[in-house]
This record gives sequence, structure tokens and C-alpha cells, in this order.
Amino acid sequence: MDSEVYAFALKSTLDEMQKACPEIKNAFVLDQNRTIIARDENTTEETLNQAVEVLNEMFGKADAIGGVDDLTIEGINGRMNVSRVDEIFLVTVTSRKANLNYVNTVTHVLVPTVLKLIEKLNHGPLKSNLIEPEQKLETEPENSTVEQAVESTEQSAEPGQEEEEQAETPHEESMEKIVAEPPANQFIVEEMKGLLSPSDTVRIDNSVIEKWNEFYQDKTIEEADVETFGGKSVRCKIKSIKDAKLEGQGKVQIPGKMQLVLDIKKGELVRVKPVVE
Amino acid sequence: MTNKKRKDGLQATETAEPTVIENATFESTLRANLEEIRNYDGIVGYILKNTNSASIDLKDPAKIIDYAILSSTTFDSTEELSKLFNLEGIKDVIINGKNLKMISLTIENNRISIFLENSSDDDRVLKRIQMV
Repeated sequence: MDSEVYAFALKSTLDEMQKACPEIKNAFVLDQNRTIIARDENTTEETLNQAVEVLNEMFGKADAIGGVDDLTIEGINGRMNVSRVDEIFLVTVTSRKANLNYVNTVTHVLVPTVLKLIEKLNHGPLKSNLIEPEQKLETEPENSTVEQAVESTEQSAEPGQEEEEQAETPHEESMEKIVAEPPANQFIVEEMKGLLSPSDTVRIDNSVIEKWNEFYQDKTIEEADVETFGGKSVRCKIKSIKDAKLEGQGKVQIPGKMQLVLDIKKGELVRVKPVVE
Repeated sequence: MTNKKRKDGLQATETAEPTVIENATFESTLRANLEEIRNYDGIVGYILKNTNSASIDLKDPAKIIDYAILSSTTFDSTEELSKLFNLEGIKDVIINGKNLKMISLTIENNRISIFLENSSDDDRVLKRIQMV
């Protein structure tokens, strides 16, 4: 089937949806690459472009929960819904007064039916028939928002690249080779107990310290900056955690006085960056 | 609360105290609610962030960063989408993924994201968290 016909069929579906449900204020369809396939007449191109850009960013981060199958934003004045239907994403914005059951019935019945019909007429998967992108927004590089260098390398590493080597090499090692920025880690604050605990030292996983030392091969990391989400920061010495129960838990043991200075307490999140001088 | 302060002989400069105490009570109630929700079936964990602090309680610490980024991006993105489509204030956001779902909402400058298994009852979680 011609891609124009496919797009026309979807656009007609959106229009019919809005006729049946005037409470649907905006509707558009994206393919798996979040490229716009069809849109209603109410949605301006500018709005649509911005919306797709924002959705792209959100979808990119949703890999943590296995991607997006359904997204609902419940606003005071209306509701936005993104639903995966087969290989497309149907986006609808409805007014506050909309009868959700009715809207869902229309959207979740009409669109899949049309898609199946197109597929049958075409005798092939829809993917191959998608029209040339009207607009393709590139996802921003993960590194721009991922503050953690270690994490960012995990995401930016190209799949399939040196697969065999990676299978043999420990994961951490392969990451460190690619890391381009000083690695920073986030930890959950834990009390540092013991009368003899130095007040200028924090304790973190030995594996993290080892990673840092491997990263800066010529230098030994002895100090780190502990930063809070409130913007406070303290430079202190680092040592490895002694308590085996806390190893590998993503925790940092911070002395009470330092917690007071940083205005944090047990259970909160801090970022720890190695100091390289 | 004010009477107690006077009994203690505190000066007039301390009149701001009750607000702080109220805030502390609110936050502690919120945290208590989250702790209760944490024990519901299928709850993987939560992220609570406000202007001063952030706390995370997740079963899998290795996922902390990924979840924190998703949570943060969701709040920022939904604000933009809200402006674009005149949704006005956001009450809540629910993302259903293949593996998990996430509920995000803001209560009094506290940004909360709760991660739960797909089979979990998000209505129950939403109702409980809003009872602050």
C-alpha cells in the first residue's frame, strides 16, 4: 500500500475519532521511531514538533522500566494519553469533561481496527509502509542529561560493538575504557558509627575506589567531593567500607558532623566525585 | 505549639518556628505514607525529592540512577507538555512500561515517583500518597 494512502487512512481515523468524541482536542500518531505519521487538523505543526521532541526525551529515559507502553498525564484542565497500538503510538489530548470510558472505547477500538484493516489490505507488516518522515527528531545524546559518567557510558556504548570482547571482559573494565569524564557516583547516606571514626573521612564501596584508581592510572584517589542535591559540597578523604553488610549497597558512610554541614541525613542521596590533583 | 514556645521563654524572633514544625510534620507524614506504600505488594521503591533533599528507597540500588533520571525527565517533560496542550497543573503521571510502571506526582514542592510492578494497584497507591 502506498504510504500516502496509509497516512491518509490514519488521518481520517483521527478525524473520525474527533467527530465521535469532540472532547478529544488533539490527536496524532507516531511510529516506533517517534516520527509523525498522521495528525489531526487542530494540532499546529509547531506544537506537534515541540511535543514530539519532549516525548522523545522522555521515551529515551523510559528504558529503565522497559520502554513506554502507555503514558497518562492527568492535568487539572485535561489529560494527555500516549498508547502503544501494535507498532505505533497514538497520542490524544482530551478535555477535563471528557468521558474517559467513551474516549478509550473509541480510541482503543477504532485505531487498532483501522490498523488491522490496512495490514490485511496490504498483506504485510505496517512497519515497511510507513511514510517518509515528515519530521524526524534526533534523540539527544544520553550524556547531556546523564550526570553520571559511568552510567552514561553504559548507555552510549554501541550495541554489538566488540561483543565478543565484552563477553570475555568484565563489564566494568569495558566501561572504563570508554569513560570520557571523571566518574561520579550517587550514594545513599548511611551513618558512620564508631567513636574513633575520623570526621573528615567518608567510606564508600572499595570497588568504586578501585574503579577510580584504575580510571586515573597514574594517580591514587584519596579525596572526593561529596555534593548534595541542595547544592552543598564538602571535600573529604575516602576510605573503603568496613562493614561487609553495606558493601555493594550503593551507600556512603558519612560522619554525623559532616552530615550536619551538608544538611543531609541517613537515606538521602548524595553525589561523590573523586578529586584528581 | 505557640504556647509551648512561650512557656520555654523564647523570644519573639522565634515566631517562625511553628511554620517549620508544620513543614517538618508534613514531610514526616509524607515519608511515613511512602514507607507504608513501600510495604504494599509489588512496590519496587520510591524517589522523594524537594528543594532541600532527595531520598531514594529502591530494591535494586543498581537502578537508582536510571530511575532518578527517568523521574526527573518525566517531571520536566510533563510540565512542557502541560504548557503545550493547556493541561494546566499536573495532578499525576503514570507510565506503564514492559517491566514496571511509574507514578509521579508533586505534593507541596515534593516530587514523588513510585515504581511498582505492572500488576500492582496504582489507584490504591495514588490515594494513599495523597492523604497527607
